[in-house]
Amino acid sequence: MMTSAVRILVVDDEQHVRNSLATWFREEGYDVSVAAGGKDALAILTREGTNILLVDIKMPGMDGLELQRKVRELAPDATIIIMTAYASVETAVQALKEGAYDYIVKPFDPEAVSRLVRKAAERYSLMAENRALRERLAGALPTLVTSGSPAMTRALELVDQVAPTDTSVLITGESGTGKELVAHLIHARSNRRFGPFVVENCGALAEGLLESELFGHERGAFTGAVARRRGKIELADEGTLFLDEIGDVPAKVQVDLLRVLQDRQLTRVGANAPTPVNFRLVTATHRDLEAEVAAGRFREDFYFRINVFMIQLPPLRERAEDIPALAEHFLRQFATQMNRRISGFTPEAMAALMAYPWPGNVRELQNAIERAIVMCRGDRIEIGHFPFAVAPAAADVSLAGVEAAHIRQVLAAASYNVAQAARALDIDRVTLYNKMKKYGIERP
Amino acid sequence: MKVRLLALGDVPPRLTEAVLAGLPRPFAGGEVARLPVALDSCYDRQRAQVDAACLIEQIPAPEEGWHVMGLTGVDLFMPALTYVFGISHLGGRRGIVSWFRLRFEPDEPDSAALFVRRVTTEVVHELGHGEGLVHCVVPDCAMHRSLWPEAVDLKRPEYCPACLATLTSS
Repeated sequence: MMTSAVRILVVDDEQHVRNSLATWFREEGYDVSVAAGGKDALAILTREGTNILLVDIKMPGMDGLELQRKVRELAPDATIIIMTAYASVETAVQALKEGAYDYIVKPFDPEAVSRLVRKAAERYSLMAENRALRERLAGALPTLVTSGSPAMTRALELVDQVAPTDTSVLITGESGTGKELVAHLIHARSNRRFGPFVVENCGALAEGLLESELFGHERGAFTGAVARRRGKIELADEGTLFLDEIGDVPAKVQVDLLRVLQDRQLTRVGANAPTPVNFRLVTATHRDLEAEVAAGRFREDFYFRINVFMIQLPPLRERAEDIPALAEHFLRQFATQMNRRISGFTPEAMAALMAYPWPGNVRELQNAIERAIVMCRGDRIEIGHFPFAVAPAAADVSLAGVEAAHIRQVLAAASYNVAQAARALDIDRVTLYNKMKKYGIERP
Repeated sequence: MKVRLLALGDVPPRLTEAVLAGLPRPFAGGEVARLPVALDSCYDRQRAQVDAACLIEQIPAPEEGWHVMGLTGVDLFMPALTYVFGISHLGGRRGIVSWFRLRFEPDEPDSAALFVRRVTTEVVHELGHGEGLVHCVVPDCAMHRSLWPEAVDLKRPEYCPACLATLTSS
């Protein structure tokens, strides 16, 4: 009985129509209920839940159209098929405009009614499958690990508070504190969670390129624009656009973004006509934007537009009580990925994790644990497996010597990913390259 | 399980005998009888058809161990549907089958054997409903739904192993 999961409700004031359809569909293996009018139908719908409703358009009291509107409110996913006589086809067309799946004229051709209900049942099954997959996908999103530090608990409360709204959110915090993860959480807990989550790192691109990335371009808009391309803003339609390092956005792009936020439409580079857009904006920065505004490096009107709701993420050193939980989380994650059996940390290793100031925050901790798992040969992580703990005794205490040692340490923690280390050090990549050259630091 | 095949109205005796003889497991023989039904009382003049839901109510309830199936040549309909080949009370061991729409068209080469096979297949189908079976996805199982005569020819007048197992276990 393949169709037993689908529940059908036949609503008709004529008893013989209800009975004959119920017999017909029960023989198909459907779970069938009948109702003589709209009131009974709504009671059954509320009590039992129904996937497909066959509704007579002409009934005394609540007619089919009115019932359809009420069903739409109670069970938006239910599929409604309108039953009509030839005389009321126009009303059936009205029902279609209001969201009915289809209509069928009485008396029904057995083949037509069977095919129509089979199609509706298949549609219901696909929708149910789709919903289940989306829920599973939403459940698979990463979660913020915390053991209940007050600072992080407050931040998570704010996430829960703002997520279901459509308000623009600005996330601030040092590099590596998990700003993108929080943005993803806001999206995952919002009404737009089934839409796309689109990320753009505004600090990584030159002005012209950033503009094209965000707004898209028409074919031939500039040299190399060989085809029309949709920008990240358009790709985020019905979803969330996360702009990381918003403090690095050039003034001209700030103006363009401000216009998009105000008008809810954008014009691709090289295009004449605007395109409507519908997205929620979440931004993040490690900079002090108020200071940037005061210094004239960031537009005040744009700042107010993106900073409707602010979430400040604390640095790891201010929530040291979360370090054991985070360390265990990353240990499990990487040990599984690398197929290693490591049970935990020695007490000395955990003490070292707690004592270290973590200038690169959670990202640095994550990298340190990953490296330690690679280094570990036993079943527990020891203090010597951490990059920050194996630095030689500081014989050179000059400022340059300390700086060189610190850069080596951060680079090691970032597995010599220069961009990542530069972010942790809060300097740009070119500066880091210059310093590496100055101190003779080379990638292993 | 025995089957009482009731001739409703003018039914050729050869047809009822052939259908009864062709019934598959788990039905084991039975008898042919006549039932004087009031077809007129179920006749819809506007549609020029007989209301199957009305007619089935004239079939007497079966005794224990029996299944009653009416056989008729009139065109059957159900109020919401333009026509039906047959009708049953699901699990109620009574039903009706009409051969009106199972006949060959005048320009088709007549095949008496194929016609009997069609009627038998639909009787087997309605007997299955009478025993509580619903439609089956196996294309050649008698419980597969058929909406036109040629589709009945694609089935066999027997149950697939799964339907047979359900019937014999109930």
